[in-house]
Amino acid sequence: MSFFWQCLIDSLLLGGLYSLMSIGLSLGFGVTRIINFAHGEMIMFGAYGAYFASILLGVDPLLSLPLVAIVVAVTAAVLFKALIEKVLNAPHINQILLLFGISLALQNVAAILWTGDARSVATPYSLTAFEFETLLVPHGRVIAFVVAIILIIALFCWLRLSELGRATRAVAENGQAATLMGINVSRMYMLSFGINAALGAATGAISSFLLTITPFMGFHMLAKAFAIVVLGGLGSVPGTIIGAFALAFAETWVSYYVPEGNGWAEGVAFIVLLFVLTIRPKGILGQAEAVH
Amino acid sequence: MSSLIKCFRISVALAGALASTHATAQDTIRIGAPLELSGRFVAYGAQGKRGVEMAVDVYGGKIGNRKIEVLFRDVQSNNQAAVTAFTELTQQEKVDFVIGPIASGIVAASVPAWRQSKPLWIVGGSSSTQLEDAMKGEQLFFHTYPWAYQYHESTAKMLSEAMGKSKKVAIIYSDGAYGREQLPWAKEFYTKNGFSIVATELVREGAADLNPVLQKIRLTRPDVLVGIVQTTDGIQLAKQVHVAKLNIPVLVGTAYPQLQEWSQATGEAADGWIGATTYLPGMKRAGDPKLSKLFPSLTDWEADFKKRYNREPEFLDVTNYTSMMLLLVAIERAGSTDKEKVAKQLTTLNIQTMLGTSNFVSTPGGALHQAFNDMVVFQRVGDKFVVLYPADAADGKLKLKQ
Repeated sequence: MSFFWQCLIDSLLLGGLYSLMSIGLSLGFGVTRIINFAHGEMIMFGAYGAYFASILLGVDPLLSLPLVAIVVAVTAAVLFKALIEKVLNAPHINQILLLFGISLALQNVAAILWTGDARSVATPYSLTAFEFETLLVPHGRVIAFVVAIILIIALFCWLRLSELGRATRAVAENGQAATLMGINVSRMYMLSFGINAALGAATGAISSFLLTITPFMGFHMLAKAFAIVVLGGLGSVPGTIIGAFALAFAETWVSYYVPEGNGWAEGVAFIVLLFVLTIRPKGILGQAEAVH
Repeated sequence: MSSLIKCFRISVALAGALASTHATAQDTIRIGAPLELSGRFVAYGAQGKRGVEMAVDVYGGKIGNRKIEVLFRDVQSNNQAAVTAFTELTQQEKVDFVIGPIASGIVAASVPAWRQSKPLWIVGGSSSTQLEDAMKGEQLFFHTYPWAYQYHESTAKMLSEAMGKSKKVAIIYSDGAYGREQLPWAKEFYTKNGFSIVATELVREGAADLNPVLQKIRLTRPDVLVGIVQTTDGIQLAKQVHVAKLNIPVLVGTAYPQLQEWSQATGEAADGWIGATTYLPGMKRAGDPKLSKLFPSLTDWEADFKKRYNREPEFLDVTNYTSMMLLLVAIERAGSTDKEKVAKQLTTLNIQTMLGTSNFVSTPGGALHQAFNDMVVFQRVGDKFVVLYPADAADGKLKLKQ
């Protein structure tokens, strides 16, 4: 039996999740030039938000997703104004230390508030699948893929068609020129950081029924999202999507076709990353060539 | 002159402080508890802490007229922090008794620190046989949690008796120390019991998709699937196995199928999974007739726990309560805080606890003091646990998944 079609389906579905997971990080960096090392915790808070909405209020994670994303975005914007804005012009090491510190603090706040117990939402659709002869297409992953694609398209439309979106792109292109054009750069920074967090929270809401939720789930996801963003080209949103699907395909194909491949999949994926960066240091669609 | 008086006053104050410290040390029995109170194993540490605190409280907080003081230290789920905490407890605080940590890697990292002054050490966690090997022949090391091989030994035996020989087993194991260390034991015991291993698949800890592994296993048509992963991966494994409809009649986990957090997270996918343990919620176990306040029946203990913490106890709550309580009883019976005397008392205890009888015996791996070796193999059927093994405790038969 060939795994070809099953492998293709699994890769596509995983690529959708990876795209959503990393696109916010990419947008945030493109605008503020700060790598949000607390991005994983935005995902984690989104996952917990959806989990508690499901457990306490009986609300499906897909329905609670918009509210969870807004709450996390507003909280992140406040955090940005209170702490991160102060280090925008500081050396990178200061920014990294601050964001890592925030990340660690948020992890432990979550552990104190909700204990370290592993959780997950068991929705009916997360435990069923379409079956086409030998092919298996899990409902939960299809839904996650569709939601991810809708959110990514919405982000693109917002960036291209709305005034705020165009202003965001202008700031990403050249902050000083944007200031001269009358754009409130500080506000755009805060907005893009908030959107970064909202997309992270949306990933978390989707992950709440696909993956396992713990206070420490974010770091693993951050590492992968960071690799994807670097692979695609720092700050390039289209590059990030290409990077996400490239990584998902590499991981899945190694899992299927290499003996004990699932254990090596991430390692191989990072070798791909190294290889791409060796021949193209700016990533697949580096900042200079990026279409914002 | 005034500086001389100042000097004198400071000396008097220091002497007083030292005397009071000495008096405090004399009046208290100090027990170090390095636990995972933050970081990725915080769930283990929280359970350990609850168990220890509850034991001290039930004991009355005193042994004779000496107060029991537990010095909790956060090892942050980090090896280096564990070494620091352990060293601080033994070198600066000079404790002679230590309980914890719990996670296998963290316990292993603490061994060199323990060797510096060798306090009496009770570990109510870590199934790692590397620890068993490292502590071979050590008189002051006591272990109250099952070793890795005990899970597979009991489960393979039960399945062999229930299913007959010549059945096929597929094993999924995680790439961390947990999975890699248990894999050889699983292979050994399933082979010994007449099973043939048709697949062993490695999975990355925290992998986002296990479907590739499951599809490969489907091709081998196993009768039994054994998942040697930690709880976080066990949740995803159970959900994805359920979705993939692999038609494998028997699904076996290691320590996770008994956990509420696992069953709550997996929903209906938890149904039918088999696990092995020394404690199951709702099990019937009588208390100790002579020490019924400290070791009541399991039902009464669970009720007391729920009243205190407003939640169901987990395995590590019970294990660490029992471990701490045994230590307190041994200290009282020794009539001394001399660690050698207390160790001697511990080895002679024969108490009916919530985990079984507290006989410390030596293990095949060379550890001298291992308690609670009676593993119970169970199956989750709906919301209930059906005990399958040992035969005298069984209250149902193995149900194959359709």
